[in-house]
Amino acid sequence: MAKKKSELSFEDKLSRLEEVAELLEQEDLGIQESISLFEEGVKLSKECIITLQKAELRITELKRQISDFKEDS
Amino acid sequence: MSEENQILTVSEITKEIRRTLEEGFERISVIGEISNFKAHYSGHWYFNLKDENAVINCTMWKGLNNFVFFTPQDGIKVIVNGRITVYPPRGNYQIDVRSMKPAGIGELQAAFEKLKQKLSDEGLFDDQYKKEIPAIPQRIGIVTAIDGAAIKDLISVAERRFPLIELIISPSKVQGAGAAESIVESIRRLNALKDIDVIILSRGGGSIEDLWAFNEEIVARAVFKSRIPIISGVGHETDFTIADFAADLRAPTPSVAMELATPDKQDFFAFIGDFLYNASENISELIDSKKEIINHTLGSYGFRFLLDRLRNNYQKLDALILKNSQSIDRKSLILHNQISLLTKTVESYSIDKSLKKGFVLIKQNDKFISRQINFDENIPATIKFFDGEIKVKKN
Repeated sequence: MAKKKSELSFEDKLSRLEEVAELLEQEDLGIQESISLFEEGVKLSKECIITLQKAELRITELKRQISDFKEDS
Repeated sequence: MSEENQILTVSEITKEIRRTLEEGFERISVIGEISNFKAHYSGHWYFNLKDENAVINCTMWKGLNNFVFFTPQDGIKVIVNGRITVYPPRGNYQIDVRSMKPAGIGELQAAFEKLKQKLSDEGLFDDQYKKEIPAIPQRIGIVTAIDGAAIKDLISVAERRFPLIELIISPSKVQGAGAAESIVESIRRLNALKDIDVIILSRGGGSIEDLWAFNEEIVARAVFKSRIPIISGVGHETDFTIADFAADLRAPTPSVAMELATPDKQDFFAFIGDFLYNASENISELIDSKKEIINHTLGSYGFRFLLDRLRNNYQKLDALILKNSQSIDRKSLILHNQISLLTKTVESYSIDKSLKKGFVLIKQNDKFISRQINFDENIPATIKFFDGEIKVKKN
């Protein structure tokens, strides 16, 4: 929670979302807290979905990378 | 038999033998079991071929043994092609091997079983050494042929399941001579990089000879030694290689290897969908339960009592307001009368002033006539002066 949202990786967001889901199932949680957790969860959900939908596979070929490096230097 | 008396030097006779043997056995194929196999650091191979009754020395030079797809082991029956050469300093003959192949598939199988047993005894396949495969990887290293069948499957599965990752391909020869060394080097290169979460060691389907590199001891040891966990996906479901046993996880095919290495994005969508549904439900339930508490509280005696008291007070208040408004009405009526009286007085005062100055007022039928148009000549009029009125009749 101390970290800013934008700094969180997909993994971090997902594990926070899992945490939020668990917290929301606790019965003794206050309504104010529940609602702010819910809002956080919705925001994280949206970000995770967008990340996954926008993701494009990156492919790097090791050999070429190394030879490029050699040519540069 | 004059030759019987001819005396030859050792070199001379050796030269004769050499010529006879080398010319007589220029192209030979020999089947036998390998023993005493030595791969010299120079790259040359030295070994014996034997059967029940005989042994023959063999050499295979570096440039040629590159083309042998498997590393020979003692006890394996092979067929070699080559020629006989004689080494005069030692006076021995040997086969200069040009090519070598296993005497049959069974031989490779035997080599496989032998190596498997050896490495198993060493503990290379023990579960305690199996590294955990990360659940959500970010960078996946791939050791396979850059133009092979496996790479296409690996990429398409990654694209479909979890395109959030980066694939780092460490191209390798995966078949034929030198393939094992190339695989080892590719694994080493990936291990030299940072942040590779898992390596997939892969190759499409093929014959046992095609897949043999994955049964080589150096590959098994490199897989075992890898700092990064390795998933093997070699050939088809029925193909088991030594590399599979040494790997941290064995997949039956390249596609499955990528499936085991990546989470499915559909699972995340499902999880998020469930979360949104359940969380909404939870919140609604929570709000409803609080509403119920509020309604219940409002219906309780304490609240009703309070409301009743409030309502009583309203009633009192209404009565007071009514009473007040009545008395206010009365007061305002009195005031109103006083005001109109005063107004009249003021008005009359201002007329008196005008009359005093000499102006007069003319009345007909008790109405003041202020305009000529309203004056009727046929009826009597009254003229009002300051000091009195006179009546005027028509002449």
